[in-house]
Amino acid sequence: MDKKSFKGYLYLLPSMIIMFCFTIYPLVRAIIMSFLGNYSIINGSYSSIGIENYKALFADPDFAMSLKNTTIYVICVVPASIFLSLIIAVLINSCKKTKALFQTIYFLPYVTSVIAIGIVWRWMFNSNYGLINFMLGLVGISPIQWLNLPQYAMPALIIFAIWKSMAFNILIFLAGLQTIPEDLYRAARIDSTPKLRVFTRITVPQLAPMIVYSSVIGMIGAFKVYNEVFSLFQGKAGPANKAMTIVYYIYDKFYNSYKYGVAAAGSVVLFVIILIFTRIQLRVTGGNKK
Amino acid sequence: MTSKRNIANVIGVVLKFTVLILGSIFTVLPFIWMISSSLKTPSELVQVPPSLFPAVPQWGNYKEAWAAAPFARYFINTLIVTLCTTCGVLVTTVLSAFAFSRLNFPGKKTVFSLFLATLMIPGEMLIITNYETIIKLKWIDSYKAMIIPWVSSAFYIYLLTRFFMQVPESLYLAAKVDKCSDFKYMIKIMVPMNKQAIFSIAILNIISSWNAFLWPLLVTNSQEMRVLSNGLVRFQTEAGSSTELIMAASCMLVMPIIIIYLFLRKYIIEGVTRSGLKG
Amino acid sequence: MKLRKIGASILAMAMATSMLAGCGETAAETTTDTQATEQTSETAEPAADTASTTEEAAATTEAKNIEATEITFWHAMNGNLESVLSEITDEFNNSNEYGIKVTLVNQGAYGDLQTKLQASAAADALPDLAQAYNNWLTPYLDKIVKLDDFVANDFDNWDDIVSAYRDECSEFGFIHAVPYNKSTYVLFYNKTMLDELGIAVPETWADVEAAAKTVMDSKNIAFIGYDDLAGAVEASLHQNGSDYVDATGAKFNDDKGLETFTYLSGLYNNGYARLVGEDGYFSNVLSNQQIASYVGSSAGVSYIKAEGWDLGVAPLPGNVQKAANMAGTNIVMFSQDSNKQLAAWEYLKYITSTDAVTKWAVGTGYLPIRQSSYETADYKAYMEENVCAAACYAQAKDFFFSPTFDASNDIRSTVPSTVESLVYDKADAQTWLDTVVGAINAQY
Repeated sequence: MDKKSFKGYLYLLPSMIIMFCFTIYPLVRAIIMSFLGNYSIINGSYSSIGIENYKALFADPDFAMSLKNTTIYVICVVPASIFLSLIIAVLINSCKKTKALFQTIYFLPYVTSVIAIGIVWRWMFNSNYGLINFMLGLVGISPIQWLNLPQYAMPALIIFAIWKSMAFNILIFLAGLQTIPEDLYRAARIDSTPKLRVFTRITVPQLAPMIVYSSVIGMIGAFKVYNEVFSLFQGKAGPANKAMTIVYYIYDKFYNSYKYGVAAAGSVVLFVIILIFTRIQLRVTGGNKK
Repeated sequence: MTSKRNIANVIGVVLKFTVLILGSIFTVLPFIWMISSSLKTPSELVQVPPSLFPAVPQWGNYKEAWAAAPFARYFINTLIVTLCTTCGVLVTTVLSAFAFSRLNFPGKKTVFSLFLATLMIPGEMLIITNYETIIKLKWIDSYKAMIIPWVSSAFYIYLLTRFFMQVPESLYLAAKVDKCSDFKYMIKIMVPMNKQAIFSIAILNIISSWNAFLWPLLVTNSQEMRVLSNGLVRFQTEAGSSTELIMAASCMLVMPIIIIYLFLRKYIIEGVTRSGLKG
Repeated sequence: MKLRKIGASILAMAMATSMLAGCGETAAETTTDTQATEQTSETAEPAADTASTTEEAAATTEAKNIEATEITFWHAMNGNLESVLSEITDEFNNSNEYGIKVTLVNQGAYGDLQTKLQASAAADALPDLAQAYNNWLTPYLDKIVKLDDFVANDFDNWDDIVSAYRDECSEFGFIHAVPYNKSTYVLFYNKTMLDELGIAVPETWADVEAAAKTVMDSKNIAFIGYDDLAGAVEASLHQNGSDYVDATGAKFNDDKGLETFTYLSGLYNNGYARLVGEDGYFSNVLSNQQIASYVGSSAGVSYIKAEGWDLGVAPLPGNVQKAANMAGTNIVMFSQDSNKQLAAWEYLKYITSTDAVTKWAVGTGYLPIRQSSYETADYKAYMEENVCAAACYAQAKDFFFSPTFDASNDIRSTVPSTVESLVYDKADAQTWLDTVVGAINAQY
């Protein structure tokens, strides 16, 4: 047994070292740092121990805005993406020959660099020469200053994010659809139940675990949005910072303003938010197993 | 009666394909627009109404973009980081998954739960302190800084452990009787039996390392160490209004992964589905 | 069968990856190794530590005895700027009598260099020399070598350096840097458009407003834009005879401040001025002829593509007085080893000599830091044909620099987004004043 015990840890050693150095230690350190006032990375000095950073954080209108924006983002992107993905997944699933083709197409955004494709979206959102305003023009809508006006910053970001996030959801729903017993549909067909009713009465309830799962995963991902903002607004947080998100705020605070303590406090807040959603997810998937 | 149903069916089918095709267009439009813009002349780019395809494809744009910034260097850096990270991930993942699924040692359950618990920590939270660690180690602006923090993933370990668990225990016991060492058993039996899962993990990791942005941006600064995604952002600033060059550069970052995807889509889709459903 | 195939391809891939990974590792090792040796050589000499506490002691003219050594210089000069810097540095490396070798290390853009310096200060791995803005330095001021004695004992006429630069380089109470790549904000304008509309180049705020009205009426585009909104606020306050900020807070919460914001808010609310928005930089907007003029750094002139129109460059318009922002970095010394300090100083003396400065200025478009360079035939000839250089020179007497203190970095990053919000809200002058003052004072 002793020999074995040594051996098991030998196999685990590489990942344990990495995990300790780059996950556990930094987690503890970030929490400690969040309680150190005016922490300086240069000589490790700090002026006080306490909740000063949290006070500064919640007094900062930029952080309030980042919380608000992130919440709006989550509320808009996740349901819209799930709803559209569900429809597309069901339609793809009902195709026989073209199923693989559509699946390949719809999954494309998932593998693509957000940064590169964000630059393309930036070009498509261009107010003068952008494809989107041109197409809106075809249906009689006058050009929108997507990236120039604060009120359109979040909508532009949300459209881009829905496009990006649908791929994963469609895939999960397609997998889920395979698990629905064919009998249920056969019975419905015999009763000649209308298609919409089949969808709402059979498909959606049967897919419920997947839908909840996708929502929680989507929300966790959406709370961490950063690359989308960076690429769409060329390294800024939108006009007048009106598309500032939590992670953008954290990054900006520690990397550009050297406010390590405040940034650490922001990241602890993010951690708590994520933790809440992960608990929900575990409860949901755990309940599923039972 | 039947004809009425037939008509309804036809309408249904038409409607279905209309939605699916419109959705497909929405999905691929940015890619098409990227490629088409990358081949246009500056005046075609600002032409109203825009043309879907350039009159004469300007392949020279790629040459110009490639020469305007050290993209070859960025490419090699990205390749090095992606491949090293992925190899590291495979080694640590296989070793750990094997330990968790086959070996017995005190505290195994506790350690496994600890691994699982780390999945709840958002990586974004760790960047500040990891950045500090990299500074103190004097790793700033090195490959090490981009690779080593990422050579282990609790998520992949969890995933592979579940696959390893499905291999019948009896095989292991038989191997023990044959005096096959644990390590040999892992390499000779476990790895080949789960090669598809391991392959999926490799591809998923390649995609995520290739597309990584924030961490390499933080820990590198000199031109020699930059990866493609960072180089692209830099180039975007420098190229100013030369949208055709920016689009060509974007293509260079996106295309390798799309090509891999088109060839290996089965594994990628399966990998994501599996990891998605088991996460 | 199929499985075997996949297995084979995995194997092949694994082999390929491990081979490539091998290469990668080696490459990484070598780079770090060289870094390590550099660092050891830096600290190897036992005398270094004792000398570092008394940097000034190293600076003596008598019997210069510099051992051959290597000096690293981190810079953020790219493209043509980098090649000119390399050329001058090569000249120094080949000509100096001590066997000093200066190695240039490109650290990307200013932002990259700033974070790299910050990180290196924390890791105690600063280079011998680096370009830096003053407001980067406050967190690690104690790691900078004081240059006063070097300047006093071994420098060819410090008074020849443009006085505003001298002031900027000694604002911490000692000489902490020598100026190098200096630029200033100027007004870039579409000469063809202004000529066509019969508008003279604006010299005052009133001229700007009048010209903007004409442009708006006939072309329906904005007249002016500012690449640096924080710089625009600061310069406008100075132009109106007001102060900006000091270590205690905003200094313009008065009538002069209100006048300044009446001017600025008026420009934006009437559409005379615009924000850059999706175009990123005004050089793009001016190139596309969607604006008549903009205020930006003289170092950015190469980004303007004047195709089908002529570019004009003028000093910034003033109000009760003229005032123009200085931009560009100075060179700071961090070497702790006395021999390296002497060697680095030799290099600094060389690149700031009249000849080298002239060569640098003509080659890059940066402004000469020496009065005597302006007098050289080479630079005079350059100004003859270069409108941008001439405009910069014309406002050299009006330079001001932003004072540096703990909050100055935060103020620089807060003001632009604050101004953007005010522009979007079409706020009135009083709101501008109150909001900007509030945003600045919140940073202390």
